[in-house]
Amino acid sequence: MMKSSWADRVEFEQGDLPEPSERIDGSLKIITDYREKDGKKFKVISTYKMEKKEVAKSVAHRKSLKKFGDSKNDSAGPNPATTIVAEEIFMQFVSIRGGVEEQQETEEDLQLQAKTQLSKVVACRICKEDHWTTHCPYKNQMPSNTPLDESSRAAAAAANAASKTSDSKVERYVSPGLRDGFGGRRGESMPLTRQNRDEATVRVTNLSEDVKDSDLTELFKPFGRITRIFLAKDKITNVPKGFAFVSYERISEAQNAINHVHGYGYDNLILSVEMANKSNN
Amino acid sequence: MRPLLLQGHERAITQIKYNREGDLILTAAKDNKPNIFFSANGERLGNLIGHNGAVWCIDVNWDSTRIITGGGDGQLKLWDLETGACISTIDNTTSARTCAFSYSGRYVMYSTDNTMGKDCEIRIIDFNDPQQVAGHGLMKTSVCTSTQKGKVTAALWWNLDDGILTGHEDGSLCIWDLRNDLDKIQRVKAHRGIINDMQYNKDSTMVITASKDNSAIVFDSDTLEELKKFPTERPVNSAAISPIFNHVLLGGGQEAREVTVTSAKQGKFDARFYHLIFEEEFGRVKDHFGPINSVAFHPDGKSYASGGEDGFVRVHHFDQTYFELTFEGEDFTPLEGGNY
Repeated sequence: MMKSSWADRVEFEQGDLPEPSERIDGSLKIITDYREKDGKKFKVISTYKMEKKEVAKSVAHRKSLKKFGDSKNDSAGPNPATTIVAEEIFMQFVSIRGGVEEQQETEEDLQLQAKTQLSKVVACRICKEDHWTTHCPYKNQMPSNTPLDESSRAAAAAANAASKTSDSKVERYVSPGLRDGFGGRRGESMPLTRQNRDEATVRVTNLSEDVKDSDLTELFKPFGRITRIFLAKDKITNVPKGFAFVSYERISEAQNAINHVHGYGYDNLILSVEMANKSNN
Repeated sequence: MRPLLLQGHERAITQIKYNREGDLILTAAKDNKPNIFFSANGERLGNLIGHNGAVWCIDVNWDSTRIITGGGDGQLKLWDLETGACISTIDNTTSARTCAFSYSGRYVMYSTDNTMGKDCEIRIIDFNDPQQVAGHGLMKTSVCTSTQKGKVTAALWWNLDDGILTGHEDGSLCIWDLRNDLDKIQRVKAHRGIINDMQYNKDSTMVITASKDNSAIVFDSDTLEELKKFPTERPVNSAAISPIFNHVLLGGGQEAREVTVTSAKQGKFDARFYHLIFEEEFGRVKDHFGPINSVAFHPDGKSYASGGEDGFVRVHHFDQTYFELTFEGEDFTPLEGGNY
């Protein structure tokens, strides 16, 4: 048998497919089309809704214009080659005042409710506050069998709240030598250089993505001599991650910086500044 | 919303415009065939065949009978909208960067690039003079020489037919007086970067500029006094003001040449909606996968079109939630949109 040419074959295959048909059903127009792709035949049914609109004469006139250019041979209605109905998308509303944001608020309310419910169930054995005993900020200082008096309990509550707001990380294991009871003797025999620097380092969080090293220098310079600034950046994109470490020569200077800059609004964000040495251990 | 995806172009979109009634969308791209679509269903009326290079600008006259396009091949072409035939071609040595019909449709302005040792020029065609339609004896003025960095990158007619408002590569805005041989009336340093786009609001009392310096600014179109500023964190390629709400639409994204070297999330290709008065962002639409080069509101304010570096034009009809948006402190009922 003789091999048919490529052009013949295309023609033959096209002839093999049924003719496209068009059906009008009320306000719907249903077009059934047949296509062949990768040796498989597909039946494509497209349904269009027809609408009648009253428009200005000029607009109606343009609607009746003959198509031209590459669309010269298109039939009436949109040609799927140039017009596609894309996937459903939604406008994302960003921090608008009122309106759509309510839903998010209710979600937050729910979380808050869940928290308050939990707090009724959980009570610390040391300070009687609403957290597990193992999470108590006073567990290393107080013998667990002596209950606290009222004032220190309030202090514990405050400390607890502070630790909750600063970060909700699970508490890490702290080796006995580093626990607060031994605090005074910690690292006595070690050379002081590195230790010192870490002690006089503050951690700055909630920085904006646009912040630069120079901005930080400017911000923290007034409180003492800065020995090092480390601004954490994304490895790939080089966009700041929103936190930085600033080292001073003295702890007093670091403390001074904390006193002044903590809670300071910078670039629309409230900065949080705290001693960094705890995290370094 | 389900956007209509218009695939009439093979390359990046350069400019989109609705005609006055809003039934047509005209799109120009870096390929050589500008398209005309019906905005209601995305049907293509046709495309204009004749350019030999990128088409930088497109405009349609008041009664939607004529289209003007300017291209990188230096040609300015006048087309008949009803048949798609080219009526007249004016050849220039350098690219025709911007073009616009005057309010009455009597004049067309266009500007040329300052490459190949030529000056950047603004030229005016008066349709009452057949000689000028053929390209002879145009009124023109030089904006800057080829060594200066200040060519016209966006242009609009100013105060109906009285003058021309131009945005420049160096970020300045100028007004040129048509009745006085295109004398420069005013110059304002508006932006620190190239002005990519300018659009009027519905009654032309305000003009919004979109600049590569990552911001868009709304000016009083009479005095060029800065009214509102919308800073973002990426270059703004196009900006539009809603005809019915106090909303501003910005389109942009990182520069096209950087797209391939960073992740898609970094690009920030979403169309962003700001409140005109509060200068606050309230919404985003994320669908292009390249920077948005041009945006336009439908004259009835109920839909908008955006065209991107990805070569697609998307026509979005707003959901009901958009119309129900209210802002605290805003006592405002939407203006009646054009009922076409």
